[in-house]
Amino acid sequence: MANHDLTSRIAPQLDRHLVFPLLEFLQERELYPNDEILKAKIQLLSHTNMVDYAMDIHKALYHTEDVPQAMVDRRVEVVSRLKSLEESAAPLISFLQDANLVQELRPDRQYNIQMLHDRFQIGADQIEALYQYAKFQFECGNYSGAADYLYQYRALCTNSERSLSALWGKLAAEILMQNWDVALEELNRLKEIIDSKSFSSPLNQLQNRIWLMHWSLFIFFNHENGRNSIIDLFFQDRYLNAIQTNAHHLLRYLATAVIVNKRRRNMLKELVKVIQQEQHCYKDPITELLESLYVNYDFDEAQKKLKECEQVILNDPFLGKRVGDSNFATVPLRDEFLENTRLFIFETYCRIHRCIDISVLAEKLNLNMTYDESLAWITNLIRNSKLEAKIDAALGTVTMPVVHQNVHEQIIESMKNLNTRTYLLAKNIVEPAQVAQASR
Amino acid sequence: MASRFWTQGGDSDTEEEEEENSEYDGSDAEQPAGDNSGAAAGSRYLRGQASDSDDSDGQHRVVKSARDKRFDEMAATVDQMKNAMKINDWVSLQESFEKINKQLEKVVRVTESVKVPNLYIKALVMLEDFLAQALANKDAKKKMSSSNAKALNSMKQKLKKNNKQYEEIIAKYREMPESEDDGTADEDEESDSEVEEDPSKIVMSDEENEDDDDDDEDGHDEATEGDGVWERKMSKKDKLMDKQFMKDPSEITWDIVNQKLKEIVAARGKKGTGRVEQVEQLTFLTRVAKTPAQKLEILFSVISSQFDINPSLLGHMPINVWKKCVGNMLLALDILEQYPNIVVDDTVEPEENETQKGADHNGTIRVWGNLVAFLDRLDSEFFKSLQCIDPYTREYVERLRDEPLFFVIAQNVQDYLERIGDFKASSKVALRRLELIYYKPQEVYDAMRKLAEQTGTEDGLGNGDESEKNLSMEENRGPPVFVSIPELVPRKPTFSESSRALVDALVSLIYSYGDERTKARAMLCDIYHHAIFDEFSIARDLLLMSHLQDGIQLMDISSQILFNRVMAQLGLCAFRAGLIQEAHGCLFELYQGGRVKELLAQGFSQNRYHEKTPEQEKAERRRQMPYHMHINLELLEATHLISAMLLEVPNMAATAYDPKRKPISKTFRRLLEVSERQTFMGPPESVRDHVMAATRALSKGDYQKAFDVISSLEIWKLLRNCDSILQMVKSKIKEEALRTYLFAFASCYDSLSLEQLTSMFDLSKAHAHSIVSKMMVMEELQASWDQPTKCLVFHNLEQTRLQSLLFQMADKLVILAENNERAFEVRTGGGLEGLPPKRREGQDYTAYGANRWQDNSASGVSQGRQGSGYGGRLGYNGRTGGSAQAGAGSRGAGGHYGSMGRTSYRATAMRASQVEGFAGMVNLSRAGRI
Repeated sequence: MANHDLTSRIAPQLDRHLVFPLLEFLQERELYPNDEILKAKIQLLSHTNMVDYAMDIHKALYHTEDVPQAMVDRRVEVVSRLKSLEESAAPLISFLQDANLVQELRPDRQYNIQMLHDRFQIGADQIEALYQYAKFQFECGNYSGAADYLYQYRALCTNSERSLSALWGKLAAEILMQNWDVALEELNRLKEIIDSKSFSSPLNQLQNRIWLMHWSLFIFFNHENGRNSIIDLFFQDRYLNAIQTNAHHLLRYLATAVIVNKRRRNMLKELVKVIQQEQHCYKDPITELLESLYVNYDFDEAQKKLKECEQVILNDPFLGKRVGDSNFATVPLRDEFLENTRLFIFETYCRIHRCIDISVLAEKLNLNMTYDESLAWITNLIRNSKLEAKIDAALGTVTMPVVHQNVHEQIIESMKNLNTRTYLLAKNIVEPAQVAQASR
Repeated sequence: MASRFWTQGGDSDTEEEEEENSEYDGSDAEQPAGDNSGAAAGSRYLRGQASDSDDSDGQHRVVKSARDKRFDEMAATVDQMKNAMKINDWVSLQESFEKINKQLEKVVRVTESVKVPNLYIKALVMLEDFLAQALANKDAKKKMSSSNAKALNSMKQKLKKNNKQYEEIIAKYREMPESEDDGTADEDEESDSEVEEDPSKIVMSDEENEDDDDDDEDGHDEATEGDGVWERKMSKKDKLMDKQFMKDPSEITWDIVNQKLKEIVAARGKKGTGRVEQVEQLTFLTRVAKTPAQKLEILFSVISSQFDINPSLLGHMPINVWKKCVGNMLLALDILEQYPNIVVDDTVEPEENETQKGADHNGTIRVWGNLVAFLDRLDSEFFKSLQCIDPYTREYVERLRDEPLFFVIAQNVQDYLERIGDFKASSKVALRRLELIYYKPQEVYDAMRKLAEQTGTEDGLGNGDESEKNLSMEENRGPPVFVSIPELVPRKPTFSESSRALVDALVSLIYSYGDERTKARAMLCDIYHHAIFDEFSIARDLLLMSHLQDGIQLMDISSQILFNRVMAQLGLCAFRAGLIQEAHGCLFELYQGGRVKELLAQGFSQNRYHEKTPEQEKAERRRQMPYHMHINLELLEATHLISAMLLEVPNMAATAYDPKRKPISKTFRRLLEVSERQTFMGPPESVRDHVMAATRALSKGDYQKAFDVISSLEIWKLLRNCDSILQMVKSKIKEEALRTYLFAFASCYDSLSLEQLTSMFDLSKAHAHSIVSKMMVMEELQASWDQPTKCLVFHNLEQTRLQSLLFQMADKLVILAENNERAFEVRTGGGLEGLPPKRREGQDYTAYGANRWQDNSASGVSQGRQGSGYGGRLGYNGRTGGSAQAGAGSRGAGGHYGSMGRTSYRATAMRASQVEGFAGMVNLSRAGRI
């Protein structure tokens, strides 16, 4: 089932550290040989400062106690560098740790810098050091520290470029600490900057948008309101363009979000269109499901795809999140997805049929139910007035009444508002005239 | 000139005559070898004709035989006639005509031969032509004074009578006009065109033509003799030059060479300067150049003067000169390769003695020149020659074989420019290369590659031999080459394995360094290439991302033609991929005006209502694509018509009784109407007949017959994988036949089993089910499935006559109300709330339409190609387009429009109004059809 795995396409758009959760997930799902994942992890770590962790993995991978000399050297180097950075950033950090002194900072950035410079001899070099230190902390895996320092750095930073990268760092740190609310805030802040800032080149802007969308996946599929936000964000023209240009695989998440979200059914049409346009560069069971359902009206195919979708969702790091105890885990998203898709299929099916055999319907819907159960399911739907239909119990069929607007009704309907419109028009014409007369 | 020749020579020396003849032979290769003596005599005088008419005719010859005298008189008369023709003076023309007839008698008496002199015949032909021309020109005739017109008429009759006697000879003459006459005529034309081109030049040469021949000889005694015959002097001078340079190689200094060069260059463009001779002189100079820089400088002059050989805009450079020019370019590149300190520059005027610096000079040496311009010119000459040569001859093929030669030079220039870091220029060169390969499918590309490899080896030898031969010949005449340059740059083009790789490389270079136009053209070529290689989606994305369709009208005509070609190719590509809707979207605009030939620059289309001026015609001729680049028009037409048929036939069936719905393809509808009006249907002949026959069958639901007719078209053989494409066409026809059938005959059925449908149209159950379901969802078909019995149950919603009239009335009332509202809006400026946005769109559409009809022929080439419209996917912005369309479809358009460019807006509006007839699900279903 590894063929629908998107990790390799998503990972390049993420920070190194953000790839870890994905790899952990893959390890758990056992899609790939364990060794490969461990190797990937070591490779991933080789450019970070989490040397200890890398050593552990190395030991686990090769079942030895020895670690390569390179790693040991690197560790020494990292520690010494940490020390030096700490030293250079020390004055500022000590200042920031003192709550009383921090009180003196004002919203005015220029003033702050001036004050720091005058009273504490903290200049641009120290502020720069703070950034470097924070970055180093992040690379060592100390995300909370990094997030704090970066927050403070942004308050003091004057370089907009630097500020942007600090914001990215903060976002990554918050994501890794799973502070979804804060992360969402940071995300919005970042989005504003990206959209507003006159970037050096449209290409650069595009790249930033793509990163943003990838990073946002962490948040949206974990935050409670994420499913609405993802639709909002991804359906914005600029972001949809970005998806169509360079990140087609994100369509999977968009499609899933739309399917799962009951209130956003109106987006479906547009989504299908986008999927159609991009079908030559990207398809996976989820997009194919929508296609077979809304383009080809091929229910057998849809049913097949639905089965595959289940697997895809389970194997996707973002979608297949588990909830529950260790022995009884459910994937809430999967259940919602299946339920909603069934509804879609059923709805479309009913729309073009006058009479359906219930047992066939159950089969099409991929419900592993007995006749009675599916009967109950349908009855439920009818009772909840989601469906206008009658069950013919003797024949075992559902019959949809053909509703046709009466011709008379249609004509009346089309002429109904003529009256009001004409009235409005007449009023608009007559009133000024009357006013004019009265004033005369 | 002849007269001067005589003055100088004194008597008619046969030797000199021969010499002169041979001289002429050199310049004019078509001179028939063996003229009899009479003709020779005639031709001698003909040369007199060649001289300018303002040459003093009254000059008296010193010693002349009676024979010569008569001839001279005759020649004078001919001159007079020419003058008369120039001012359209028929009275004097008539006089001259009578005079010449008298003279003829004398001449015949003197020469005692039966044969009529050629001169006379020539005059007759000339007169005849001029007469025909004058008669054809009715306007001018009206304007003539009465006496003039009278003279013209009598002239007409006389000439007719007179010419009867010489009918045979005239016919013979017309068949094979003597080269000299041709030459003179050509020269006249050329000088005419020169006048058009560069008035300043002609003025200059008028002033200086008296002494131009002499100022290049350093105090040579011939100057005293007045204007001599250039050709003769040439040969003398050649000898002299040899003498001068032969003395001793060591004695030739840089100064001498430099001075000589300046002289020759100064003579350039002046009247009477033989262009060919100038090239020869310069070529000679290249061998005696003292320093590499000088050699380079001279080489550049050689190349420029080689370009000068053909001054006409219409004609092309002689092919052998072109080849020599390529050789010179290569030589120049060799020099540049060997001496990297030499810099070619055309921005700064180099110092006087810049080229004196020898090979050992370190530091840069600037030489004036522009490699890219030379290359551009070479390319356009190549292009022109292909335009001019008849494509059905061997000559054309031979010419095409020279393409690798150009490739070599372009590649080398590009390499050189990249080496010196001039990427801007190199991107221009890259575009030239790109434009040579973008239209080649892989097979053709492979063939070219093979040819290049072959000729590369052969040519290497052959050329080498030839050049060695040349060299050795020249060596005999002149001193050894002072500065010898080894062949450094490769003489063989290198092609990458796949043309895609090459195109990618070139394109990426251009994208990063080229200017706007270069980039746009490169993008178009890239799209074209993708389209050829059946990569529709990539090509489409490229086109849409580049937003080229928005601004294409503002570009030059050649780019617009390229754009049209791209659209045509894209349409073909879409068709091959089975994307009927897209194919139609790409092609329908090309066929809208019936000027597809003109739009693609593949021929001229006659316009009944609009005569073209000769300038327009000339300009159009210059734009023509060479034959080997043509897109097959029959294939294109078939593609267009078949796509239109597949879309239109079900549409017609669905909307047979609904006048509101718009036709998808108006062109197609018109054709159909024309063919329906015919009383007798013959078997189909043209592509159009075939498609019309298929349409008739299809509208009855007879898919098999429709397909048979379509597949009997010849053009399918042109496609690479014609079987699979025919298969695709067949399945499309089946689908559309099913849809048409259902539309047309739904009212006749109460229910219809799926099995019957599948057997009727030979479709699989799933496929038929899917098609029918789609129609149901789109509310095109009022029916639903009965799942247990697998039947299609129709809900017949027949409207009575009264009801449908009521509906129409309701519609009209709505329009009335809207008109009222709009009138109110216009009056008050404020809008009423509740005005449906749809109307606004409609207005915009009409505005768009109005725009389109104003097209004039200048901008006509590109007219209306914008917004080639695939269901609103226009530009990356086109996403907005898509959503806007969705909105429009469901009658909730609005807000989206703001951000979009004008063009895509229009296109969207257009699409939307096309689609708006359908109900809410339209977009989904449109997408479904794609």
